[in-house]
Amino acid sequence: MKHLIPEFEKLRERFPEGFDSSLVLPCLRRIQEERGFVADSDIEGLVAYLGVPRIQIEEVLSFYGQFRRAPVGRCHVEACRNLSCSLLGAERLIDHLSKKLGIRPGETTPDGEFSLATVECMASCGTAPMVAVNGSYHEAMTAEKLDALLDSKRRGD
Amino acid sequence: MPRIYIDGLPYEADSRQTVMEVAAANGIVLPGFCWHPKLSVAGNCRLCAVQVEGRSWVEISCNMPVAQDLKVLTDSDIVREYRKSILALTTLNHPVDCGICDKAGECLLQDYHYEHNGAPSTSHEVKVHATKFHALSSRITLDNERCVLCSRCVRFTHEISKTKSLGIVQRGDTSLVRASGDGAFETDAYSDNVVDLCPVGALLSRSFLYKSRVWYLKATPSVCPGCARGCAVNLWHRKPEWKLQALDARHNRAIERITPRDNPAVNGPWICNRGRDLAPLFERERATQAICAGFSVATPAAIEGARSLIERARRPVALVSSWASNEELAAFAAALGRHFTVFVKRDREPEPGEVVADDILICADKNPNSTGALANFASAWGPGSTLPEGTDLLLVWGEGFDLAQVPQSLRTIVLDAWKNPGHARADVFIPVSIQTERRGTYTNFEGTVSGFEACFEKDDSVAHAEDLFAALAAANVAAA
Repeated sequence: MKHLIPEFEKLRERFPEGFDSSLVLPCLRRIQEERGFVADSDIEGLVAYLGVPRIQIEEVLSFYGQFRRAPVGRCHVEACRNLSCSLLGAERLIDHLSKKLGIRPGETTPDGEFSLATVECMASCGTAPMVAVNGSYHEAMTAEKLDALLDSKRRGD
Repeated sequence: MPRIYIDGLPYEADSRQTVMEVAAANGIVLPGFCWHPKLSVAGNCRLCAVQVEGRSWVEISCNMPVAQDLKVLTDSDIVREYRKSILALTTLNHPVDCGICDKAGECLLQDYHYEHNGAPSTSHEVKVHATKFHALSSRITLDNERCVLCSRCVRFTHEISKTKSLGIVQRGDTSLVRASGDGAFETDAYSDNVVDLCPVGALLSRSFLYKSRVWYLKATPSVCPGCARGCAVNLWHRKPEWKLQALDARHNRAIERITPRDNPAVNGPWICNRGRDLAPLFERERATQAICAGFSVATPAAIEGARSLIERARRPVALVSSWASNEELAAFAAALGRHFTVFVKRDREPEPGEVVADDILICADKNPNSTGALANFASAWGPGSTLPEGTDLLLVWGEGFDLAQVPQSLRTIVLDAWKNPGHARADVFIPVSIQTERRGTYTNFEGTVSGFEACFEKDDSVAHAEDLFAALAAANVAAA
């Protein structure tokens, strides 16, 4: 995390003095971009750097579903299960993904290629059901589209 | 000074007050889980809502600033219906385990439910289950199913104890109170206050868990003797009418728990964890046998032996107890003060691992009445102190002095409440009563005098020190 401190310093300039706790979210986001997840050592580093109570960082990390506390696979597949997607068959798609990858939501394939997660609304209800791979949206998904998507990712596309 | 109207009656208010504060100051009880007079306003339980006259909906009184001629209604149809709905929401996932919950009998949710709702649940959904018996620390267990997320405990650690060790993790109906991963809550010297703060049975003391239903207990007002702050406390013990006959009789004389008693002049509504742990200190093995010249004797015989030693002494010295009450010290001063050279000794010193002092409540002097004792007798006995030349009698009152420090040839009288092998060295030993067996007052380090009441009857074999001194004063000593 230490090498990110110059970036954090630049971020700090955007906030009024005394608002260091406002930096928690952007700093955590940057850490996750860098490492793929937020480790315990990152929390400790951020507590020391920002001087905020550790519990505040733990609250933020557990509140926002986008933050991960453990490494994920090379392709992180996130399937929305919120209302619009659910009405249009998200559960069936999640089952299909589970069978296809051989893992349940929250797990990673043994080869470290894929991890699967369910998420709440991706704010793209008009194109439900939604799936994101490494943050890229894939709209109006079907089982066939999913198969094609996973195959292309396997090939490294 | 704005004037506001609550249910049509006028009340003077401070412009910085909220409606809730004005109501509380005037004895009007508005229900609420999250509001606490000593904590910041969270406004998340919504139960204290009132209706402002002329408006069609409700607003929370805990966060409503007063304004001149503000008219609020606390019992309108809308308010009643709203409270009912809020309580239905609060009880939605709350388990009905009052039968095994330690908070039953003093639970705000129970009280409010019966006062403001009382209707059976209309929900057919399965309740959301959460962690039960989560060890928040070695002292406190958390039942997340009972938690109403009022956040009082979180605000306490952020605003009062300053450890910032509790927070609410996750979100929505999976929210959980949790301690931070750095162990700060474990070392929070005031952590047990969250048990009192918790309006429901979510946060419970592990030392009191399943020990007793609260309606079998009686709270006796007392003063914590743990340090010179002299916090006001309640000592909870079995009510006489619920005396146990078949089980161990010691239950009837046990201090089941110690809780703070609100005293704005001393401790407010808080006490430290150490103060809650003092029951074992009171419940150590008591000395009940008087000793005179190496023989076990009846207390009156020991008093007679001590009286004759005092009568014969030319240069007697007394080390008086800083755990003695002002009344006992005054009795000593009146009966024996002029005959003895008196020093005030510290009965207790900080123990290993104990917080010595902080800037919240805990004082470095671990004796409740050093100030009161020094007001009666100006000389303090410290680590480097020695007995005056020619001392021919030493009276030691209380703990904290080892008789091995003085020559065997020196005549000694010891007055103490607890068993100690060192008492065998004394020429005369007289067992005395303890704080829980008598009433009296202590003067704290700031000069505030606080009173305590007796919880239990003393044993016939022990004497009240206050009554003892007049008996110890020989006629010619008292007249000297």
